Amino acid sequence: MDLHTKLKILGAAAKYDVSCSSSGSSRRNRPGGLGNASLPGICHSWSDDGRCISLLKILFTNRCAFNCLYCVNRATADVPRATFTPDEVAQLTINFYKRNYIEGLFLSSAVYKNPNYTMELLITTVRKLRNEYHFNGYIHLKAIPGADPLLIAEAGKYVDRMSVNIELPSSQGLQLLAPQKNRDAIIKPMGFIHSKILQAREERKLYKNAPLFVPAGQTTQLIVGATPDNDLRILRLSESLYKRFSLKRVYYSAYVPVTQHPNLPAIASPPLMREHRLYQADWLLRFYGFKADELLDENQPLLDIEIDPKSAWALRNLHLFPVEVNRADYEMLLRVPGIGVRSAKRIIAARRYSSIDFETLKRFGVVLKRARHFITCRGKFYGERNINESALYQMLKPASTQQKAISSTGEQLTFSSLYPHVFQPEDVYTVITGEM
Amino acid sequence: MVYYIYDGSFEGLLTAIYEAYYRRETPEKILSSDNVQNSLFIKYVHINTDQEKAQRVYDAIVQKISPSAAKNALYAFLSEAQDAGTAIYRYLKLGWKMGKSVDLALAEPHVFRVHALRKKVSQEAGKMLGLVRFQLLKSGVYYAPIEPDFNILGIIAPHFKRRMPNQDWIIHDVKRKLAAFYSQGQYAIVPFEFKGALPLDDEEFDYQTLWKEYFQNIAIKSRINLRLQRQFMPVRYWKYLIETPGTQAKP
Ligand code: SF4
Repeated sequence: MDLHTKLKILGAAAKYDVSCSSSGSSRRNRPGGLGNASLPGICHSWSDDGRCISLLKILFTNRCAFNCLYCVNRATADVPRATFTPDEVAQLTINFYKRNYIEGLFLSSAVYKNPNYTMELLITTVRKLRNEYHFNGYIHLKAIPGADPLLIAEAGKYVDRMSVNIELPSSQGLQLLAPQKNRDAIIKPMGFIHSKILQAREERKLYKNAPLFVPAGQTTQLIVGATPDNDLRILRLSESLYKRFSLKRVYYSAYVPVTQHPNLPAIASPPLMREHRLYQADWLLRFYGFKADELLDENQPLLDIEIDPKSAWALRNLHLFPVEVNRADYEMLLRVPGIGVRSAKRIIAARRYSSIDFETLKRFGVVLKRARHFITCRGKFYGERNINESALYQMLKPASTQQKAISSTGEQLTFSSLYPHVFQPEDVYTVITGEM
Repeated sequence: MVYYIYDGSFEGLLTAIYEAYYRRETPEKILSSDNVQNSLFIKYVHINTDQEKAQRVYDAIVQKISPSAAKNALYAFLSEAQDAGTAIYRYLKLGWKMGKSVDLALAEPHVFRVHALRKKVSQEAGKMLGLVRFQLLKSGVYYAPIEPDFNILGIIAPHFKRRMPNQDWIIHDVKRKLAAFYSQGQYAIVPFEFKGALPLDDEEFDYQTLWKEYFQNIAIKSRINLRLQRQFMPVRYWKYLIETPGTQAKP
């Protein structure tokens, strides 16, 4: 089989993996080598679905011994199969990198024969890239669930980032849809990678030349909408992953219907809006100091599809508002709908020099359309007076036409048309590239 | 009303700022010579660029304001915006009064303008780091043409020096007729023009095709979103890409 056909099959097979970020690592170029993993991650192109292309994202093989129902490559699926050789992967990576098409390699694989056998093939490939081809660019490797910890430890020496996919938010979900995988085989390697990262970090404090281990940390991905798990459950899971394993990111991927099966939900298009709201909520967990239980509770376990999670939270906590922008602390400013990280920082910086007026807020990128209901500026309130919660809810909703387009097809979405309400344009960029 | 006119170089702008200080004059505007429209009511003062004076102003920025103020001024200058010279002048004047806290005074229009210009320039430079496309020539040199909005060649060249230290490369700003030539640890930016067909290496075609195919293939068909794509990667940047964006429709 020629390289063109292989790349076609194994690139297409990997494309549902959402993690596009190549950030968080700075591996400096060694003499005689090619490349450096620079910080923050760089997008080299955007594909026709609007996603950032940063890494050459491929599967080593799509021949799979497992049979996960939601997966195009499951053992029983009738699809063309292909397998790379380690040298083919290395040469593609090097040559794409030299032409500045990519920032590095994202290598994943189906379970070929068994987990250990596959893991060994992946190790051979990344070792070759580093030692024979002297490649210093970014490498993100998917650890195969169920592979021996020793193999995972070996792979960790060569790569910048490693991830083990959680796949589904609950073990019941896994049992139903991916019977050969179990929670333990996924959580254990995560814990193992985490402890190795900590250990390597300690050693490097003592000896400058101690070997690196996955310097850009680990991430995971889960599929949204293939099982009945609610948003509260998902956010609590993410929260604990961030806490327990210091994950860099949790990626959410709207379930794309690839096949039909009684255990799978019958949906026509992926639940993109839900995925989007989860990313917003996740963002609030990581950068805005929110807790999962503040955003949702057992009575309200689903994120509001109509408005963003920060506005929804503010509406439920109207007694905390309005806040005076010239006095409120950073944490509180961040909680105001329409104020993002960047504009909050600007406000804090500028008011040390002089008090801020309403006009200046606009220039700082505050979305006044939303923020004015929640702030005072030099003591003056610019929002509607005597307005109740449900009227405010209507005002915070995006324009109705846009809303219709979203709910009827689940498509028509652009990140930009949705994000401005909570996030500043800079933040949007960050979301997409995974910078920060 | 007095306008100062400089030759369009950063050193020229710094010289103009130097002159304003020593002549105890406050020019209404400082303009690059290619932006001048004559008017009877304005006195035009042409400034001769002087490296030494420019250097003294530069040192004064770094020492009396901050190194980041120097970077802000340079980046804003590279925007080639008409009002850049004037905004930088006002910004620095305020900076010499306030010291490094000038960068917090975002409520001042000139400070804000300089910051806004710097941001636009560094954003484009950031984007360009990804969008530059090299092609392997028969001679073994990697060549990449670009046409950025702003004059960012000098900003991006160091990145590629770090990225590909052992490979000879050229990045060519076709619009400004400038190119960065790199070989063995050093690069120089010089005036450069090139027309005609590129003498491409034989293996170049194969990798270009592989990349084109990969690019077509990576998009998820049920999520095609050309508007979003164009928002991140405006059409004006497509000219020198190897891949062809925007060809797929939603099924
Ligand atoms: S193990 Fe991976 S590749 Fe194999 S069927 Fe499951 S999800 Fe698909």
